[in-house]
Amino acid sequence: MEALLLWPALGCYALAGVAAIAGGPQAAGVVRQHAGLALLLTGLALHTLSIATRWQALGHGPFTTLYEILTSNIWSLTLVFALASVRVRALRPTALVVLPLIGVLAAWMLWADAGPGHFPPTYHTALLYIHTALGKLFLGLLLVAVGVSGVIGMRRTAAGAAHFAAMPNDAALGELAFRFAAAAFVFESLMLIAGATWAQDAWGRYWAWDPLETWAFLTWLALAFTLHARASLRQRPGVYGALLGVVFVLAFLTFFGVPFVSLSPHKGAV
Amino acid sequence: MQQPALIAALLARLASTRLTLVLLGVFAAAVAAGYRDESIAPVALTLVFGALALNLLAAVAVRPVFRRHVPLLVVHLALFAVVVLVGLGKLTRLQGRIELTQGVPFDGTLIETDAGPWHRSLLPQAVFLHDGFDIEYAPGLKRGRTRNAVRWIDTAGREQRAVIGDHEPLVLHGYRFYTTPNKGFAPLFTWQPAGARAVVQGAVHLPSYPAQQLQQARAWTLPDGTEVWIKLASEDVLIDPERAGAFQLPRVKDVVVRVGEQRHELRVGDSVELAGGRLHYAGLRTWMGYRVFHDWTLPWLLVASTLAALALGLHFWLRFRQQPWSAVEAAPSRGTGDESGAALVLRAPLES
Repeated sequence: MEALLLWPALGCYALAGVAAIAGGPQAAGVVRQHAGLALLLTGLALHTLSIATRWQALGHGPFTTLYEILTSNIWSLTLVFALASVRVRALRPTALVVLPLIGVLAAWMLWADAGPGHFPPTYHTALLYIHTALGKLFLGLLLVAVGVSGVIGMRRTAAGAAHFAAMPNDAALGELAFRFAAAAFVFESLMLIAGATWAQDAWGRYWAWDPLETWAFLTWLALAFTLHARASLRQRPGVYGALLGVVFVLAFLTFFGVPFVSLSPHKGAV
Repeated sequence: MQQPALIAALLARLASTRLTLVLLGVFAAAVAAGYRDESIAPVALTLVFGALALNLLAAVAVRPVFRRHVPLLVVHLALFAVVVLVGLGKLTRLQGRIELTQGVPFDGTLIETDAGPWHRSLLPQAVFLHDGFDIEYAPGLKRGRTRNAVRWIDTAGREQRAVIGDHEPLVLHGYRFYTTPNKGFAPLFTWQPAGARAVVQGAVHLPSYPAQQLQQARAWTLPDGTEVWIKLASEDVLIDPERAGAFQLPRVKDVVVRVGEQRHELRVGDSVELAGGRLHYAGLRTWMGYRVFHDWTLPWLLVASTLAALALGLHFWLRFRQQPWSAVEAAPSRGTGDESGAALVLRAPLES
């Protein structure tokens, strides 16, 4: 049942990606962007049902295996992007940048073992949900910021300039990227606080510089640096966007790399 | 240069946001270096924390933006409080490890300890004992919840009982005792030296179970210096890895005691006469490993860090409210060239 719902959801996401490619500044392109958003929302509804079905069958949420981490993050990243696109219409064309990144996770998920995982005793706490939700909000908002920054970068090319011609100017896009990155920073800070509180409860220490904690803190430092640099160096939107890209790479490695290669006790999902 | 002017110039340099950027970069480098070589981490992080604290205080003192934006001031002061609290915590905290035999009170002695130089130990007052535990296992020997019954005498002299485990530590006199996956079986012995009436009681903590279920043996030195080797006689599989189960004592509680070339198999209640005295096997119990942690700064750290994050959120919210999202969206497109902000009036984000 879970797979029966997941595949159509992924199909909707893929079609939304096609609509993003077919979009553009003309009226027809804008209609395709709206259709893409509708497809994303439909895919999200199916994906939600798929995750809920698995949750009910296993008795725990998607927190334990690589497959579960990937499917829940595809869901949350898409959700944050879709909600942001509903609220801020100017974001809709950025689907061309955002959806391929989500597509990478979807392709990875299809290779992962979908079997059930063990729900550790340290996961029986409300802090699991608080920490995870804050982390997903952080990554989702950062992805939106990176999507906007990606448009600024792509407009350096002739094709990109033509495709995104109807979007606001780079200064306005830079401001949009800054707003989402700033919100991401707040949620990342709260995520680290919730994680430290959970670590104190689960392992009797709030911070031990294990690989996941170290990478998460480096990501926080990188985002703090990026926000401060925008304020003090008056960077061009392109430079600022590039820095946000670096932060996203760090965050991506922290979320999807470190937990699955680390041998320390704090291995995130494993 | 006049002294006040010199101080003002120095403060201005210390308050530079460009210096903040440099220090954030150095901070990242210190974290990465400390991760690779733990020995340099305390010094490197202390230096960076100190420099950032100076930079932050100087900025608060001289930058008018902090007087115009109170939430931003709160963010920075709360961050400073976090730095101070982390430092104080390092100086005053204690972390360590104990192993406790079922039914035997904790005597304040740690197996491993890492205490700050300003820590004043109240551990001998944190007396408690554990009355056994229940641990469930999923197939594949995957550990489930731990429920550890403990009791202690409170300051009013009343006996208190609780069940701790996983997320619920026992907190006594500020010391937090957390159960760990480290636990096992503890044969209990009494030793009566030859010709003496006094009896000494002791327990042998066999290696952690089920992690080391095939090595349930341990060497032990008796009070007279005799080396003995203790082993559980039963080699039964107590937790079937193929199915769900629970930690349990073996049905057969016999132990093997080897002294040199001599081998004795003892049932509960049996004794063996050795050259220096009589060794009596009193029974088989469990032992539990606990992590001990004491840091009075914990609740204040939570308050300060949460305040910093929420104040930052409020600062951004107030700032973004001044220029609606719709105004940002409605900025004219006209290509990529307009990066100066001329087409869209952007306020300086974080500084004056």
